[in-house]
Amino acid sequence: MAPPRTKSHVTLWDPIVRITHWGVAGVVLTNALITKGGSVAHVSLGWGLMALLLLRTVWGVLGPTEARFSAFPPNPIAALRHLRDLVAGRVREYPSHNPAGALMVYAFWVALGLVVATGLVMTGGETPMQVAADKATVETGDWSALIKDSEGETSDQEDSGLRETAEEVHDVAANLLLFLAALHIAGVLIESRALRRNLVAPMLLGERRK
Amino acid sequence: MTLTPKLHTTGRRQTMALSLFLLVQTVGMVFYVGDVISDFRDNPESVHFIFEATVTTALVLGILFGTFALRRTIDLLQAQEQALDVARGALGAVIDRQFQDWALTPAERDVAFLALKGLDVAEIADLRGAAQGTVRAQLTRIYSKAGVSGRAQFAAFFVEDLLGEGVPGPEVPKTAAH
Ligand code: HEM
Repeated sequence: MAPPRTKSHVTLWDPIVRITHWGVAGVVLTNALITKGGSVAHVSLGWGLMALLLLRTVWGVLGPTEARFSAFPPNPIAALRHLRDLVAGRVREYPSHNPAGALMVYAFWVALGLVVATGLVMTGGETPMQVAADKATVETGDWSALIKDSEGETSDQEDSGLRETAEEVHDVAANLLLFLAALHIAGVLIESRALRRNLVAPMLLGERRK
Repeated sequence: MTLTPKLHTTGRRQTMALSLFLLVQTVGMVFYVGDVISDFRDNPESVHFIFEATVTTALVLGILFGTFALRRTIDLLQAQEQALDVARGALGAVIDRQFQDWALTPAERDVAFLALKGLDVAEIADLRGAAQGTVRAQLTRIYSKAGVSGRAQFAAFFVEDLLGEGVPGPEVPKTAAH
């Protein structure tokens, strides 16, 4: 008899996980490699990233079992154990992300949160529409838009100090994201080989039947 | 592996559309909230601010409702799929084995299964998002691989199994009758 299909692993991630995944990946790569920092496109994509993260966060609480944070808690010890098993050639399926993958996912989210937060500090929390309007004003030769936030000398100095720090953190976190992405892709490939199944397929359109 | 025809294609499309809609709403909401906050810093008593804050609250509620609805739809689809799996479990295994014997390709297996379920060419084409000509060609290939003359004989092939021997287990798949 055909055994009832109790899935030991995800054969197709739900649409929210898939959309937010490729959306986040797209924004990270585009903003790191193509758009110019501070440009309207860069800031707009950053705000889009904020929306993707927000949606994924809500989904991590309200979504289906395998998408919930509780399905892949951050657990460094389990992650190490998983890596040890992997090296020893013992592999097993998990109902959601494997413990090492889960740690990677949280690292991503922390770095992404940092990039968004510092980006907001650097732009003074201006929406992309305001950034565009400011740019248009400056283009007409009116530089006052650049200093319109200043209220007093001291707060101005504090402000610029904060922004400088934010800028540094922004750069570091962005580079960290690219590093994590490389590690992440390597991890997906290694795990796919060990499990003898394509892990990317469930993130795209589902597994192909043999 | 049990036969899993793409009966859930429609459900998948629905949840995908709902999700995209939810994303658009969320993007809109984030931009709106940003705007509301800067309006608040400018002038919290302006009609503009109060209006925008109201709209934003409605958007947030809409997104939460949408999330719940999406979650429920996904759960429902999953339950349906599971029920279908169990229902077709016994006969499905026999059919699956037979399809393998006939060396049907995965696409042909889906089409053959849908044909067995009594769907006509137009319905199959619709469900699979394929042209009717494609489906017709696939059916022709399936019949020839199965060595039957057409749809009636194709369906009878499996009905015969049921009538002749009761519901057979997959241990005794019927491979004769070519
Ligand atoms: C900068 C680019 C990328 C970022 C920031 C990123 C980030 C993430 C995150 C946050 C998750 C967790 C998904 C969730 O639960 O919501 C994830 C999972 C995943 N990513 Fe990526 N990703 C990137 C690029 C890629 C690429 C290029 C591939 C394809 C090779 C890929 C394949 C996967 C797979 C297969 C999973 C699921 C792993 C599992 O089965 O547990 N990612 N990624």
